[in-house]
Amino acid sequence: MTSVPDALCRHCLLPVGRRGFTRAVNGEGCQFCCYGCCIAYQVKNGSADASEAAWFLVRLGAGSFLSMNIMLFSLLVYSGAFTGADQRVLPTIHLLLWALATPAVLILGEPFLRETWSQARRGRLTSSALIVLGSLAAYAYSTLAVFQRGGHLYFDTASMVLMLFTLGRYLEAAGRARASRDLAPLLAAESELATVIEAGQEHRRPVREVRAGMLIRVKPGERIPVDGLIVEGRSHTDDAVITGESRQIAKAVGAFVLAGSINLDGPLLIRSSGAGGESRWAQICRSVRDALRQSSRTQRVADRLVGAFVPIVLALAGITLIYWAQRLPLDEAMLTALSVLVVACPCAVGLAAPMAHSLGIGQLARHGCLVRSPGALEALAGIRLIAFDKTGTLTSGRPQLVDIASDGVGEEELLSRLAGLERHSEHGLARAIALAASARGLAPLAAEDVQVLPGRGLRGMVHGEAVAAGSAALMDELGWALPPALFERTELMAAAGHSVVFVGWSEPALAGRARAALSFDDTPLLEARATVDALRALGLQVMLLSGDHAGAAARIATTVGVDDWQAGLLPEAKRAALDQYRALHGAAAMVGDGLNDAPGLAWADVGIAVGSATDLARETADLVLPADGLWLLPWVVARARAVRATILANLAWAFGYNLVALTCGVLGLLQPILAAAVMAGSSLLVVLNSLRLERLPGPCHPGVPQSSAAARPAGEPGPPAQGRSRALALLKAES
Amino acid sequence: MSYYALLFIAGFAGSFHCIGMCGGFACALGADARGASATSLRHVLYNIGRLSTYCFLGALAGALGQVICTSLAADSQRAAPLLSASLEVGQRALAVMAGLLMILMALRFFGVRAWHGGTSGFGGSTLVVSLRSLLGRRGFAAPLALGVLNGFLPCPLVYAMLAQAASTFDVLAGCLSMAAFGLGTFPAMLAMGGVGRMLAPSWRQRGVRVAGSFILALGLVTLSRGVLPMMSGHGLHHIWHFT
Repeated sequence: MTSVPDALCRHCLLPVGRRGFTRAVNGEGCQFCCYGCCIAYQVKNGSADASEAAWFLVRLGAGSFLSMNIMLFSLLVYSGAFTGADQRVLPTIHLLLWALATPAVLILGEPFLRETWSQARRGRLTSSALIVLGSLAAYAYSTLAVFQRGGHLYFDTASMVLMLFTLGRYLEAAGRARASRDLAPLLAAESELATVIEAGQEHRRPVREVRAGMLIRVKPGERIPVDGLIVEGRSHTDDAVITGESRQIAKAVGAFVLAGSINLDGPLLIRSSGAGGESRWAQICRSVRDALRQSSRTQRVADRLVGAFVPIVLALAGITLIYWAQRLPLDEAMLTALSVLVVACPCAVGLAAPMAHSLGIGQLARHGCLVRSPGALEALAGIRLIAFDKTGTLTSGRPQLVDIASDGVGEEELLSRLAGLERHSEHGLARAIALAASARGLAPLAAEDVQVLPGRGLRGMVHGEAVAAGSAALMDELGWALPPALFERTELMAAAGHSVVFVGWSEPALAGRARAALSFDDTPLLEARATVDALRALGLQVMLLSGDHAGAAARIATTVGVDDWQAGLLPEAKRAALDQYRALHGAAAMVGDGLNDAPGLAWADVGIAVGSATDLARETADLVLPADGLWLLPWVVARARAVRATILANLAWAFGYNLVALTCGVLGLLQPILAAAVMAGSSLLVVLNSLRLERLPGPCHPGVPQSSAAARPAGEPGPPAQGRSRALALLKAES
Repeated sequence: MSYYALLFIAGFAGSFHCIGMCGGFACALGADARGASATSLRHVLYNIGRLSTYCFLGALAGALGQVICTSLAADSQRAAPLLSASLEVGQRALAVMAGLLMILMALRFFGVRAWHGGTSGFGGSTLVVSLRSLLGRRGFAAPLALGVLNGFLPCPLVYAMLAQAASTFDVLAGCLSMAAFGLGTFPAMLAMGGVGRMLAPSWRQRGVRVAGSFILALGLVTLSRGVLPMMSGHGLHHIWHFT
C-alpha cells in the first residue's frame, strides 16, 4: 500500500488503485477506477445537451440491431451455410430477412423520408431524397423477389445504407455537441436555475425571473446566476466565462460577484443587483446564440451548390440505370444506379462550415472574445488592414501626469496642495494627480470650500490660501496672472498632444497667479507594441485613425510602432479614410473601444471592440474582445484564419470526394454498401478535420511571468502597475 | 462443442470484468416503474442487444478470416505445384496474430499495459456522452439500443474474443464463438441489473484475474496452432479435440 490513502472512484466509490485514471466530467476532474466507471458516470451525470444525438442513438441502436441480424443471415447465406441439406430452409431465411428488414427500413428510413417529404412539399429536393429513393428501391425489389421466390435479395443493402447514413447523422450531431462544449457555460445562462430565498423558503427559479434585490443562495461549485453583492459567506470565484481569464479571486461579504462566474469553495448568499436577464453573462449568452444561428456566406454558397447537386445526381442515376440495364441484368444495373444515388449524398458539404464555426466561436469565447456572427470570423480571416482608434484602444484611456512646468515652486509643494484639492473631484485628471502624489509619497493637504467649476476646473482653500486648478480661461476668470514663460511652455505641451492644467494660488496680501502647469497624457498600453508587431508579422497593414490632434497621434504612433496614421478625424472622416485604405489594401478591420467609434466599427468589414460597453445589445462591433484584451487580437486573427482554412479544406475534400466517388459509382465500381460507408466516412473525416481546430495553441500573453519582472530588460512589457509607472518615468525623461 | 463451452466459461469468468465496465450501464438502467417483469424485460433487451452486436462482430471477424484464407487459397491454386502451402502459411499467420493479440489483452487484465489510449479516443467518449441520454428514456427500444451500442464500446475482452473468432476462418463459427462468449456474460450482467453491486471488490478483482487467465490460455492455444507444426492446417476441430 502506498502511504497516501487511495482516492475513491467517483462512480463506484471503490479505491481507484493502480489502473485508475482521471477524466474531466462537466469541467471538474474526476478519478475513476476503470473506463467502465468513467463511462457510466458520464452517462449518468453528464450535462444533457445532446438530445439530438440521443434521438438518433435510439434509432441507430434499434436499427442496427435489426440490420446486424440481417447482415448476419445474409453473410451466412453468402458464405454458403445453407447449401446442400440445408437448402430447404432458404425460403424461410428469406422470409425472416424480410421480416427483419421491414421494421429496419421503417425505423431507420423514417427521418429521411419525413425530411424528403417536408422538403418536397416546398418544391425542394434534398440529399435525403437520394437515400430514400435508393434504399426503398432496393427494399421493394427484394420484397418482390421474396414473394415471387426468385432473384437476389438486397435487404442487407437497403438496411445497411440507411444505417450507415443514420450513423453519419449521429456522428454529425455528436460532433456538433462536442464543438459546442466550450460554448456550454456561455449558453447556460438561459437554462440555469437560481436558488431564490423568499420568506425564508428556498425556491428554484429560472435565472430570467430573478429581479433586483432578491436573495440568492449559491452552493460551492455552482455557477453564480446573477450579478450581486455578497451578504453572507466567503469564497473564491472564477470569472473565466466573463473575463476569459481563469484564476481564483477571493470574495467576502460586501464584494461584488459576476453572474456566470463559478463559486469555488464556500456557500454564498447574494443580493441580486439587477434582473437576471440583464447581467453580462445573459447578454453574452444571447449574443452567442444569435451568432450560432446565423450562417456565413461560404455556408450559403455551399448550401446552394448542394441544392443544385441533387437533381443532377438523380438524372445521373437514371442515365446509369438505363445504360447498364442494356448490358447487365436489371438487378445489377439497379445496384449500380443505387451506388450512384448513395455515394453522391453531399452530407459532408453541409457539415463543412458550421462545425468549424462553432468550434472557433467557442474557443474564442473561452478566452472572453465574443464573435457576433460566423461571417465575422470568415471576414476577419480575409482582412488585409487593421485600423486602430487611439484612445482607450492602443492607450489605457486613463491620463497620467507626464510633465510639470513650474514658475518657481517646488514639485512637492505643488502636488501636495493640488492633491488635497483634487480629492474632491471625480475627474480623470484628478485621479492622475492623486496617483502622482502618492507615487512620490506626498500626503494631500486638507482643502476646504472646494467648488467644482464644470468645464473649467476647481477652486478651494488650502491653509487659508485660495488655490485653483484648471484651464487658462479659469485663471483669466479669477484675474490671476499667467507668466509668459509658463504660457510658452504650455503651448509646447499642447502641441505634443497633452492636456494642460494650470495651477495657481494666492499668497497672503498678494493677488493670486498661476505658478505651474501640469501636462497629462494618455499612455500607450504596454502590450500595444507587441500586438502591432504580431499583427504585422501576420502580414497585415496596421494604421492609426485618431480623432485626437496630430501631436498626440504622432507620438502614440511612434511609441507603438505604427508608421501610418491620420489624426483629427471626425467619425465621418474615419469612414472616408477607411474607404480610401480599403481601396488600396483590401478588406479592413477597425479596432475601437466600442463607444466613440461605433460608426467606424460598423463601417469596417470587421468591427472589433476592445473592453466594450456594458450593454452588448447596443454593440455594433462584429467581434468583442475583453477589457485589457488587445493582446489577444493576433491570436484571434490567426484563429479566424485557421477556421477559414479548415472550412476550405473541408469543402475541397467533400466536393473532391463526391466527384471521385460519383465517377466510380457511374462506372459500376462501387458496391452500394461500400458507397454508403464511403459517404459516412467522408462526414466523419470532415468532423475530425474540424476537431483538429481544438488542438491549436491558446493565446500567449506577450509579457513574461511576473516573478521575473526584475530581470526583464527595460522597454519590455510587464505587469500593468509596475510597467505603467516605468512608462511614466520614461516619458518624463523624454520631455 | 467443448470449444464453445470453453468460450462460454471464458465469458462467464470475464463477466467479472464486465461488472466493472459495463456493469455500470446495467446498474444505471435500473428498475422500471411498471414493475418487476418490465424491469426484467429492460435488462434482457439490453443484454440481447449486446449479444447481437457480439454475434455480428464475430460473423464479420469470421468472414474476414474466411476471405483472407480463400483469397490465399485462390493464389495457391494458381501456383499449383506448391500445394496449399501459402494457405497454410496464411492460416498460421492469422492464428499467430490472433494469439498474440489475445495474450496482450490478457496481460492487460493483470495490470500490464502494453499500450495506452485506444479507449479514450473520439469514438469512445462521444458514444459515451450520448449513451447516457439513453438510460433515462422510457420504452423498450432504448435499452435495446443501449445494449447494441454498448457492444461496440472498446473492451479488451471483446477484442480478444474477436481475435479468436477471426482465427476460426468461418462466418458461422465466428458468429457462434462470439455468441458463446456473449451468453457467458449473461448471468453476471443480468444479476447486476437485478441485485446491484453485491460482489465485494476483492471478488471482482479475483474474477478479473480468472478472466485474464482464461484469455491467456486461449491465446496460447491459438498461438500454438500457428507455431506448432502438427497442429496446423486442419482447422479448429482438430485442436479442440486435442485439448
